[in-house]
Amino acid sequence: MAIIEVEELTKIFNGDIRAVDGISFKVEEGELLGFLGPNGAGKTTTLNMLSTLLKPTSGSAIVNGHDILENPDAVRRSIGFVFQDPTLDTELTGRENLDFHGRIYGLKRKVRVERIKEMLEIVQLEDRADDLVKTYSGGMKRRLEIARGLLHYPKVLFLDEPTLGLDPQTRRAIWEHIQRLNEDEKVTIILTTHYTEEADYLCNRIQIIDFGKLVAVGTPNDLKSRLEGDIVSLVFKDPAHLMKIHPLFKGKDWVSSAIPVAGDGGNAGGMSRMMEIMRRIARGRGGMGGMGGLAGMGAGGGHGGGGIRIPKRYKEMIAKAMSSKGGLSAMMKAGAKQLNLLVDDGGHRIPEIVKIVDGAGVELESVELHKPTLDDVFLATTGRSIRDERGSFTETIRRRRITRSARGMRVRG
Amino acid sequence: MVQPISGQAIYVVLMREIKRYWRAKARIISSIAQSFFFLLFFGMGVGSMFSGGSFGPGGYLGYIAPGIIGMGLLFGSVFSGVSVIFDRQFGFMKEMLVAPVSRTSIIIGKILGGALTASIQGVILLGVSTLIGAFSFVPLPLFVIGVLLSIGVMILITAGFVGLGVAIGSSLNDFHAFQLLVTFVIWPLFMLSGVFFPFTGAPSWLQIAMLCDPMFYGVEAMRVCLGSPVSLDLITIFSGIPVIGPVLVMVPWLVPILVLVLFTSIMVAIGTFLFSRAQV
Ligand SMILES: Nc1ncnc2c1ncn2[C@@H]1O[C@H](COP(=O)(O)OP(=O)(O)OP(=O)(O)O)[C@@H](O)[C@H]1O
Ligand SMILES: [Mg+2]
Repeated sequence: MAIIEVEELTKIFNGDIRAVDGISFKVEEGELLGFLGPNGAGKTTTLNMLSTLLKPTSGSAIVNGHDILENPDAVRRSIGFVFQDPTLDTELTGRENLDFHGRIYGLKRKVRVERIKEMLEIVQLEDRADDLVKTYSGGMKRRLEIARGLLHYPKVLFLDEPTLGLDPQTRRAIWEHIQRLNEDEKVTIILTTHYTEEADYLCNRIQIIDFGKLVAVGTPNDLKSRLEGDIVSLVFKDPAHLMKIHPLFKGKDWVSSAIPVAGDGGNAGGMSRMMEIMRRIARGRGGMGGMGGLAGMGAGGGHGGGGIRIPKRYKEMIAKAMSSKGGLSAMMKAGAKQLNLLVDDGGHRIPEIVKIVDGAGVELESVELHKPTLDDVFLATTGRSIRDERGSFTETIRRRRITRSARGMRVRG
Repeated sequence: MVQPISGQAIYVVLMREIKRYWRAKARIISSIAQSFFFLLFFGMGVGSMFSGGSFGPGGYLGYIAPGIIGMGLLFGSVFSGVSVIFDRQFGFMKEMLVAPVSRTSIIIGKILGGALTASIQGVILLGVSTLIGAFSFVPLPLFVIGVLLSIGVMILITAGFVGLGVAIGSSLNDFHAFQLLVTFVIWPLFMLSGVFFPFTGAPSWLQIAMLCDPMFYGVEAMRVCLGSPVSLDLITIFSGIPVIGPVLVMVPWLVPILVLVLFTSIMVAIGTFLFSRAQV
């Protein structure tokens, strides 16, 4: 039975930001569902609506049998939430934060004390539990936040980028706990993440969301197998070379798609995303139809072909880029040095690929071949590398800071 | 929509307020010092200008002391109410808002916690005033009873003003408006409460403004508890009310108490309503 049913859920902020754009989906009881999507795709907004923190502009959702609009109190009794943004009381100690949570979620004293102890162990905060949270590092705060969210065992648990910026060891321990909650305690979980290995490892099913719409749904293997063939990554010395080579592969019938990827420190991720948008505009329709070999990757329920709405700021950027002469190549020069080709039987095509590049008089830095991963799926569906976590500037800084302090902790502790 | 009240939720939210209050030592100390300076410098300084009994048996110091305590109550309670802004700013609000308890329980905990901490503050100020000798004119047994009664009044006053703070905090989106709140809400409420000058003899436009200030009734109520009589003009004004008018004349302290009860109920209701509508 579906424990979550979402019907045409929409959230419009300030009259024109369509953060969530009529999405519909179901989550079966006991599922561990992953939500993947670029920054600003609408993941958090969706979870906020499902948890009754935000009122939808339109549409409806049922969580554990209760309507989010008609019976928000009952919905809240069914859920737990680990937020993306910090939500701790820094004037309390770690243990007091956990105790507050345990009590307000109605855990009996014995269970409360036990769980608090267990969770403090998992996130390795036992020795700092009685210090004020304001003395914690960013990573420690994050760990405490997760510990708190996993203290009670709700019917449905929302985890919004739970392991963001944590060191691999802690992440692994938290993954195991999440899995145990899901399997042993039958907690249905929706998790958003930018780590594809996390989604791959944990999730039974993945939904990729972009511009507030579902663009792909399936099991991790399902999604990967939809990219038929192999990924051949060509890395060039100069973004201009990529510009030159890119069109050469477009006409080949054995190349399903050719997508530029952000290089180290380059901002081509955003650029390629913009090109993807332009491609959709040029085709006069949205959805996944134009994505070569990816045709048919649209989400079930008939959402694949709907027109996409382009955010205003993108429209402006695009207009600017198109009006200036050579705008496109200027954009490309911004940094993409890597071109990902989806190729049937890649191993046998490499010599041919190298020959084409050679023939154009361009030097290759490296060539790499791999089976499609979730990263490739993400790139193909959103036109953007999942590693290109370029949100707002402060967002980037915040992420860095958390990562750094999490690492620092590991070294000291 | 039914909103069941959860005792446990009220308790945890209340305990959080108390812990946070207790840990903000600088705030406690500065608030006590501020009141202390008012009493000592202002009370004794200005008081020395008046030698007669125009300010009742306790002189000027005895006259302003209940009002200065009231100031502590007012600032403490409004601040703890608007702290919902900070809860939202620092994210803890989300933790409370997704909890499986009604928002009514959360806000009752918040209001009780705010009322309790502001009243503790009031009791401390009462102690300080007593030490300075502001109430030395009141016979000891009466004073003991008065202190107990005034604690009840403090809770009533502060609950109302925490409610006001919550209402304002839930409607404001950023805490830059905080300074405006202090200047345009809290200070006028304080200045018009009749702390420094009596109602009788004030220009009539000022009297009207004072009558609209709930804190005025709060200070009056505190004065009654601590040995000063209710302003006679106030009784005259309210005696005109049909049916209960004559009762009010016979039991003068009923006026401020009834107004306070009314004010507090309305503020708690409005605060709860605005808070439960809030989204993150
Ligand atoms: N309170 C708000 N007011 C206005 N716009 C908002 C608000 N919250 C979110 N948005 C906008 O809605 C869109 C979706 O935001 P959301 O936080 O849901 O993205 P997300 O998928 O969680 O992204 P991220 O990976 O960065 O967390 C963004 O364009 C964002 O700017
Ligand atoms: Mg988010």
